[in-house]
Amino acid sequence: MDAATQSLRIALLGVPNCGKTALFNRLTGSRQKVANYAGVTVERREGERRARDGRGLRVLDLPGTYSLTPTTLDEAITRDVLLGRVAGESAPELVVCVVDAVHLAVGLRLALEVKRVGVPMVIALNRMDVARRRGVQIDPARLSAELGVAVLPTIAVKRGGADELIASIESPRWLEHRVVTAPGWQPPSAEDAEQTQSDLRGILASVGYVPAPENSWDKALDRVLLNPLGGLIVFALVMFFIFQAVFTWATPLMDGIEALFGSFGGWVNANMGDGPLRSLLVDGVIAGAGGVLVFLPQIIILFFFILVFEDSGYLPRAAYLLDRLMGWVGLSGRAFIPLLSSHACAIPGIMAARTIPNWRDRLTTIMVAPLMTCSARLPVYSLLISAFIPAREIGWFNLQGIVLFSLYAAGILSSFLVAFVLKLFAGARRYSPLMLELPDFQWPHAGNLVLGLWERVKIFVSRVGGIILALTIILWVLSTYPAPPPDATGPAIQYSFAGQLGAMLQTVFAPIGFNWQISIALVPGLAAREVAVSALGTVYAMSATGDDQIAAQLEPVIAQGWSLATACSLLAWYVFAPQCLSTLAVVKRETNSWRYPLIMAGYLFALAYLASFITYRAVGALT
Amino acid sequence: MQQFIVALIALVALAFSIWKLMPARRRLRALMAIDAWAARRPRLAGWREHSLKPRLLRAGGTGCGGCPANTQPRTR
Repeated sequence: MDAATQSLRIALLGVPNCGKTALFNRLTGSRQKVANYAGVTVERREGERRARDGRGLRVLDLPGTYSLTPTTLDEAITRDVLLGRVAGESAPELVVCVVDAVHLAVGLRLALEVKRVGVPMVIALNRMDVARRRGVQIDPARLSAELGVAVLPTIAVKRGGADELIASIESPRWLEHRVVTAPGWQPPSAEDAEQTQSDLRGILASVGYVPAPENSWDKALDRVLLNPLGGLIVFALVMFFIFQAVFTWATPLMDGIEALFGSFGGWVNANMGDGPLRSLLVDGVIAGAGGVLVFLPQIIILFFFILVFEDSGYLPRAAYLLDRLMGWVGLSGRAFIPLLSSHACAIPGIMAARTIPNWRDRLTTIMVAPLMTCSARLPVYSLLISAFIPAREIGWFNLQGIVLFSLYAAGILSSFLVAFVLKLFAGARRYSPLMLELPDFQWPHAGNLVLGLWERVKIFVSRVGGIILALTIILWVLSTYPAPPPDATGPAIQYSFAGQLGAMLQTVFAPIGFNWQISIALVPGLAAREVAVSALGTVYAMSATGDDQIAAQLEPVIAQGWSLATACSLLAWYVFAPQCLSTLAVVKRETNSWRYPLIMAGYLFALAYLASFITYRAVGALT
Repeated sequence: MQQFIVALIALVALAFSIWKLMPARRRLRALMAIDAWAARRPRLAGWREHSLKPRLLRAGGTGCGGCPANTQPRTR
């Protein structure tokens, strides 16, 4: 076999938050999520690099681990891949052990353990720029001589920061040392662990390693942010500010996009002959999918703040602050990151629960994760808030922002309540305190922010142009056919499949104040929540008679057509409403049972119905 | 003519929705079956390398395809 056809499997391995994924992105050109806290990667990821001589290099990014003796599922994945225990997959032929130069001792301990496995290895001494700035003294050449493996300095977040490592892994010499059999490994005994620790101390002493002095800025910030009272106040203020910004800053852009779609709909109406294609474009595509795209600026602003917190190192501090409260309601402190991830989408949040070692804690986290307000709910909330809550200032704050903040808070509080109820059913358990490595504070990396936002924009736009558009088209077909009878008196949609389905569903949803249009919109909303907005746009556009123009102007229509009680009831529904089908599928996979997704769907439906019923009756009585 | 175009668009939308809402594991199996079929046809080698392989890698990941943890891997 010539060199050009031989490929090499390379595994990136290291302790959590040492920069493995940033390095993976640098090597493969991928754009996997990176953040300044542990537990972002919970599954093996694979990318490819083409070496200069044409060979393919398969690069694996593995979840972070402190040792090869796993305590959590994600750590077990790393060990199994390294030892070739994954079905249908051989062990990697080269390991790049990523060691954070700022915290050398922790990473080197794992490197020593991996070295004993016997797989060819190089060490990427990452974050060398930060280490130098902080006064850490490391001599990579001496370290390499002590360890007997190549030690190559890298700065994974910088272009060209891994050139030396790239040159090393692209070398054909690794093919000559290719390991054919699976490496042998025995769990280390207490004596082995002590020996590793002693070796580590010896190596650090002989290379003249001087650790970084404690950062006074970090210390001062932590005094405030980790204070049990002051930290919580700062956290609440920060969250409040974000939701204010989401409404206040996004409005001009949203108005612009809305006007654009409105005039586009008008142009199509004026320049296209009457017929089903025009109706599909105006009532389906523009009124439906276009109506969802309007919310893009709010998504961008929300994720801008989330990314800033992720990159700065603030999030693990927030996890530390909330640990006691979470422990009291029956959640593990480690549940914070999965629950926070669920604010983007419940699916990565549920998967991130793999970092929780205790099965019962993990299951509780999975069961409550869908109660967090995922970004797909934002368009629904925004539409209803804009239509029914006046944009009034209360002191320094915008009333619409306050309502949005309350809805997010309602999701969090209800998750705590459900966790507490689960704890009552499952019985008290021993509280296990949170062990979490607090990363150093850092200024958010502009490149990470831009890339992260770009990914979110791409995801949202591709969802609008993909599944949301497709489902909207199907709903348009169901709302158009069959055609009404010649003696029909109402709007044509009432005689269509969707109209008939809506009439049937309305008997179920009438007690909570939903009309037949809302009832129809709930069905495709199960596939993706934003589709509820596009479905409402399409259904109302199809319900319009004469020359009424609904395209991209759903807000005034529902403001006139619905009561405040109905709007509040729908908001309450969406705080609890069962997740999209993809979420239930992931719960099935993560729990390896249909039991839990079914319980989840059942309890969320029941909660949503109950909350909507109470809200509808209470608001109806007050107005 | 408009009726025909609308019918075509609706069919494509239906097929696309079924594909996107299919469980990830089944979608991966379907892609693997297509890959095995394409592997026997040398004329499709380019399409297989540039279009099908990235999809397979992505489907081998997890989730709904709508989360940042599942962005498309690229080859450098």
